[in-house]
Amino acid sequence: MRRVALRGIRAHLVRFVLSVLAVTLGVAFVAGTFSLRAMLSSTFNDIVESSLTGDVYLRGAEAAGSTSPTGQGGFGEARNAIPIALTDVATAVDGVALALPGLNGPAVLVGADGVAVSQGQAPSFAQALDPADPTVRLVAGRAPVGPAEIALASETLAASGLTLGQTTPAVIAGTLAQVAVVGEVDYGAPLAGATVLFLDVATAVQAYAPAGLVQSITVYADPGVSPQTLVDRLQPVVTADAAVRAEAVTGDELRDDARAQIETALGFIETFLLVFAGISLFVGGFIIANTFAMSVRQRLREFALLRALGASPVQVFASILVQAAVVGLLGSALGVLAGFALVSVLRVVLGRFGMSLSGTIPLEPSTVALSLAIGTVVSLAAAALPARRAALTPPVEAMRDDVVVQERTLRWRALSGSLLTALGVAAVVLAVVAPESDGGQRLGFGAAAVLVGVLLLAPVIARASLGVLAAVFVATLPPIGRLARGNVTRNPRRTANTAGALMIGMALVGASSVLAASAQDSTRSIVAETSTADFVLRSPTAAIPADALAAVAALPDVEAADAVTLGSVLIGRPGAGAGGPGPATVVVGLDPGAFGRTMDIERTDGSLDRLADGEIAAQQGAAADAGWTIGTELELTSTTGSRTVTVGAIIDSPAIQAPIVLPEAVFDDLVPAAQAAVNLVFVKAVPGADRTVLRRDLTAAVAPFVVVSVLDNEQFASELAGQVDQVLVILYALLGLSVVIAILGIVNTLALSVIERTREIGLMRAVGLGRLQLAGTVMIESVLTALFGTVVGVVVGVALAAAMPTVFSDVGLTTLAIPWGTLGWILVLAGVVGVLAAVWPAIRAARLPVLQAVTVD
Amino acid sequence: MDPTPVAPAVIAHARGLVKTYGTGETTVRALDGIDVDFARGRLTAIMGPSGSGKSTLMHCMAGLDRATAGSVVVDGDEIGRMSERQLTRLRRTRLGFVFQAYNLVPTLTAAENITLPLDIARRPVDRAHFDAVVAAVGLGDRLSHRPSELSGGQQQRVACARALVSRPAVVFADEPTGNLDSHSSGEVLGFLRRSVDDLGQSVVMVTHDPNAASIAHRVVFLGDGRLVGELLDPTAGTILDALRELS
Repeated sequence: MRRVALRGIRAHLVRFVLSVLAVTLGVAFVAGTFSLRAMLSSTFNDIVESSLTGDVYLRGAEAAGSTSPTGQGGFGEARNAIPIALTDVATAVDGVALALPGLNGPAVLVGADGVAVSQGQAPSFAQALDPADPTVRLVAGRAPVGPAEIALASETLAASGLTLGQTTPAVIAGTLAQVAVVGEVDYGAPLAGATVLFLDVATAVQAYAPAGLVQSITVYADPGVSPQTLVDRLQPVVTADAAVRAEAVTGDELRDDARAQIETALGFIETFLLVFAGISLFVGGFIIANTFAMSVRQRLREFALLRALGASPVQVFASILVQAAVVGLLGSALGVLAGFALVSVLRVVLGRFGMSLSGTIPLEPSTVALSLAIGTVVSLAAAALPARRAALTPPVEAMRDDVVVQERTLRWRALSGSLLTALGVAAVVLAVVAPESDGGQRLGFGAAAVLVGVLLLAPVIARASLGVLAAVFVATLPPIGRLARGNVTRNPRRTANTAGALMIGMALVGASSVLAASAQDSTRSIVAETSTADFVLRSPTAAIPADALAAVAALPDVEAADAVTLGSVLIGRPGAGAGGPGPATVVVGLDPGAFGRTMDIERTDGSLDRLADGEIAAQQGAAADAGWTIGTELELTSTTGSRTVTVGAIIDSPAIQAPIVLPEAVFDDLVPAAQAAVNLVFVKAVPGADRTVLRRDLTAAVAPFVVVSVLDNEQFASELAGQVDQVLVILYALLGLSVVIAILGIVNTLALSVIERTREIGLMRAVGLGRLQLAGTVMIESVLTALFGTVVGVVVGVALAAAMPTVFSDVGLTTLAIPWGTLGWILVLAGVVGVLAAVWPAIRAARLPVLQAVTVD
Repeated sequence: MDPTPVAPAVIAHARGLVKTYGTGETTVRALDGIDVDFARGRLTAIMGPSGSGKSTLMHCMAGLDRATAGSVVVDGDEIGRMSERQLTRLRRTRLGFVFQAYNLVPTLTAAENITLPLDIARRPVDRAHFDAVVAAVGLGDRLSHRPSELSGGQQQRVACARALVSRPAVVFADEPTGNLDSHSSGEVLGFLRRSVDDLGQSVVMVTHDPNAASIAHRVVFLGDGRLVGELLDPTAGTILDALRELS
């Protein structure tokens, strides 16, 4: 029986090529994701290994809010800061060879082209260059001395286009300065796109430890002294003063912490990508199922013969599964190679853009095994139903002249599909009616149920829907329109399965486009409702230098420049004690005077005036979740200490993307300047000031800082909305693969049905159907299939996405916008997809010699 | 040019027709220099043992296959020099076909199948002629049925109606009764003969069944790619005798 199965594949290799390709694409995505993760993992591990080389680290004993909301500031969980003076204390301990305080913080470097040097979202920071530091090595020039000199990491130097000796503006800890590049430093690790500046120690202390506090101190041991011994010696010394709240840990422990944190972050990326890989594989499963269903249908007589010769149903079943396994294994083996190649290309491309990543792409046996297993299992699962059908062929079919294929009834699918769709719709309605109780979860479940339900229902609605879609072709292109309609409706199950693959992708594309349009509209309306400022200052680095803020505030036409500053603190209830200080949370610092001046914030309870007295404002949603009301006391803990504050106002403002707003005074007290980031500055003009002049003055004032742009409210809204577009592009690209696989599915079904209909095609050619007409028929079939999948998919996707603004209004999605234009283009795209998919099958059909087609068995 | 004169009553003829398959040692001469005329308004049957070249002859006559040498003229036009496009138009407008099996487009109703050649050619359906043909095949009540809902004999009668509805110059039928029981065969053959007698149609039919061939005006016999004999106004008996003689 195995021989029959393998011969079957060899004889009909072409029929399985596209199935193999579908598996290959899906598995390539999976394998690529795994190797990408492994590569990033090894890149960041290299960074950890080469940048955290200390034997022992001194750090804060208590957890605190994260060091910086913009990502700068190294690895490990954020903790309270410790006095830099501990460096000297540690150096004095026996067995300590060297102790170096961790001095780093945000910095912006202006490149030779006058633009800030930055690689996407990668951090840009400066750190102290201590000649004794073993992790960095000066490779050219000399070490910087004084505040007017810097050195650059080799990659940063190359990316900036600067040369040694050149002078350029740089913003270090919010201060703009002209600095000379005097040295080039080998960082000893791949930078992964980070921009790194080096300062002399005194300048770094001035910039990043003005209060004498640092995050950590790196300690190197004398030869022969083990890290644990050193920890045992340092621990009593650093904990001598309880108020210092410091502790000593081994380098290994810190590195393990750092790695664990990286793995968690990469795990999210991996999960995100795997979701899309899963969609692609699911879509690929449709192609395999269709291929095997059609192959089984054509070979029913062969199976009947095998059964008549004594093969058991199990043997027939197994023979199909063997074929599926071959398809799966072959496809996934190619997929693993393709995935590996994909990541290699990605690495080269990212390298071109200055993102140096680890030199090797680890191809772990477990990745290979898992990818092969996934591809094979998908293939086997997809072939199971057709195989069952083959196995149940009665032997008597072999004796019949003409095997009549009995189409099974669609009743089961209609029933289960309706039930699932109804359940899903109910869940979505429930989510919309009561968004506050698990709305998101219910919507997610409902959406999944509706999608699967509609997939099940697709063959039931196919005949009617295709009839409507085909009407235009039937009317304009007789007789081929009618022939094409007949072909797509003759086997609704097959057409629906083919279209189903496209349906999934298009539902997601449709939902994404609605979500994006709604998010953009929401952003615009939130800006319009909230901002009463004349201008908004914004920076792509998400941190406006303090000097820029000062320069703007000093302009005569500026009545007020209100900075929205982001920081991070731990929020808990006073006296929580054993419960710990609570989770780290992003908080906003704001001048209480900004309310009503540059910002219009909706208040639901309490009074915003109380912020002037040091009380805080909490967002309605967060307050409801945590049970805060007016008068609730909260304990805020940061790197510099703790403070108890009272909730004085409850606000409802999607514009402020943090659960808590602190008055500026409280914020400055809790968050040191080096760990705060001025996210936005709202500028109000003096009454009667000329806006055009003010704009010019503002632009001139922030120009030296390079990274700050001056926007009016409309531009500000557009820029925020533009960010949604960037996300959308990535989403479309990831969904693109599933659409490509779906197109392969249409090609596959058409090509197989052309083979299946060879006789019929020959007959029509014999009675005078021209080649072009035949090709046109195949093309219309293809377009109809693509349109059916797209229309149903988009309708489902848009309908589900329409529920989102109601469910997620509390996270800033306030208005529903349906991008009719985009949806129109998606339909046009579906038509193009249909035409493209038909090219090869149509040519194949048109090339069939009439005589052979008529006489084929 | 033609050594043999062609009578005006001839609807299609072949001269020096040669068809070879393969090259070199394995060459098979399916047709080995055939001269044959098919009369207008007559039913001509082509008979011969398996491998005698009878189907190849019909395929070459109908423009479904190209001859290796020789000429084929159908309704006054030399088809050997026709392009694929011209052949398509010829089939569409001037030829009718009836095949052994799988003859109908399964997605179309019987009526739609019958008018398919006209639809493809975008020619209007002559209602009166359509009704006459449909009445002749006796399918009036089954016109809205799909092929899968018709018996084999009914399907073949639909195929015959389709071949006739466009008033072709000549109908080629390839073993039209090969898949049918004797009752259905009788119906189909009767209809083909009536189309000749009543509608003046010209029909060329390939068959190996002496009973089927006996309804023809004339039977031509093929053997090893050559014309080996012919019989006018045959009966099943005379055909059997002739076949016995030839083998």
